[in-house]
Amino acid sequence: MSKARALFDRELTDLRDNILSLGGMVETAIERAVRALREQDEDLARQVMAGDEEINTRRYDIEEQCVRLIATQQPAAGDLRAIVAAIHIVTELERMGDYASGIAELAIRLADQPHLKPLIDVPRMAEIDGAMIRASLEAYFRRDPDLALETAKRDVEIDGLYDQVYRELLTYMLSDPRTITRATYLLWVAHKLERIADRVTNICERVIFMCTGKMEELNF
Amino acid sequence: MLQMSKIETCDLRFYYDDLEALHAISMRIEERRITALIGPSGCGKSTFLRCFNRMNDTIPGTRVEGGVLLDDRDIYAPDVDVVELRRRVGMVFQRPNPFPQSIYDNVAFGPRVLHLARGGALDDLVEQSLRAAALWDEVTDKLHSSALDLSAGEQQRLCIARVLAVKPEVILMDEPCSALDPAATLRIENLMRELREHYTIVIVTHNMQQAARVSDYTGFFWLGELVEYDETGKIFTRPAQQLTEDYITGRMG
Repeated sequence: MSKARALFDRELTDLRDNILSLGGMVETAIERAVRALREQDEDLARQVMAGDEEINTRRYDIEEQCVRLIATQQPAAGDLRAIVAAIHIVTELERMGDYASGIAELAIRLADQPHLKPLIDVPRMAEIDGAMIRASLEAYFRRDPDLALETAKRDVEIDGLYDQVYRELLTYMLSDPRTITRATYLLWVAHKLERIADRVTNICERVIFMCTGKMEELNF
Repeated sequence: MLQMSKIETCDLRFYYDDLEALHAISMRIEERRITALIGPSGCGKSTFLRCFNRMNDTIPGTRVEGGVLLDDRDIYAPDVDVVELRRRVGMVFQRPNPFPQSIYDNVAFGPRVLHLARGGALDDLVEQSLRAAALWDEVTDKLHSSALDLSAGEQQRLCIARVLAVKPEVILMDEPCSALDPAATLRIENLMRELREHYTIVIVTHNMQQAARVSDYTGFFWLGELVEYDETGKIFTRPAQQLTEDYITGRMG
């Protein structure tokens, strides 16, 4: 590799590390928000909400880093696509952070009432979301369009679970109107988890664009 | 590429004595478009450019194989008038090279030699050419002072005006901005975009951002080969060849 690129390559590596670290923060926020919900832990929920600020700050820092690289390095071809992809990816991650914070807020609202039922599918959704985030960022890190495609396909599992949760909660609401508030909150949680998977799909699209130069919409 | 080709090379090979500097290059240069030739020093891009108006003829020990067609006619055919060819295919060089004469005489030189105009018609032609080269407003009051008193950027635009005065069809530019500062470079680039309306332009440049900014098509040369040739937007965002990608991202060269 050419010496002339040494500085630029270091900055690109740094950018990649920052994105992976932001991804880790978002993944943790989702996991903790759902744990706060399940364990009715208000303190934990508040911590997740407070942590969202840091995620937003990091996102803007990375975006600024991208803008600076474009201005100072005039990147082309694969480098340019990687930086443009990075800008989109951090935007998606930041929105996922907002969903985590939203779930934490609902966890607080639900903390003083007994669970409608043991939470199984919702934590399962959160688990798959986390795995999808990890895999999408690994695809970004390894520049692996096949892994990105495989990861996006898991959105089907999330959609299936969401339908199941939806139907189940509807049944509760119909049979006992007193459950409506709690069921609605849980439905919102599930909806946010479903949206997170859609955002991961967007990341996967960006990874494929970065690798191949082709923009394609992934719909599974 | 759906445009009309203005120039077409077919298996063009160029030799410096026994050294083959260009290896069977086939390329179509589109009419009224800007085509940039990029590549590291010694890759053959300037040699290739100079084939288009037989500028290499003057270098002893060189020869050409294959064809260069201008409007479908072989410019290396024995009956071609090289002076007329160079009128049709003008050239702007790396360093501005005005004659040590007045601004007016620099522009009038070609038309006088070729008997294109005289008297008032020549005045008009000089003005027209200077306007087209975006220099008129700066020199209108000093047409008869020395061209050498102009700034480097102005001198380069004067050289472009000198080319335009003989009513060319193609303008070849060999690193036209490498001796200019960024502001003068930008003026030349803006001028190129205007000239593109009427002329076919081929530019050799080491400055990849310049190729990206100004050209419609880009050809990447490497060791005497044309590695990749495509729309500029594609070359700089998603080149098809790894070699092109490595070059434009600074991984080599």
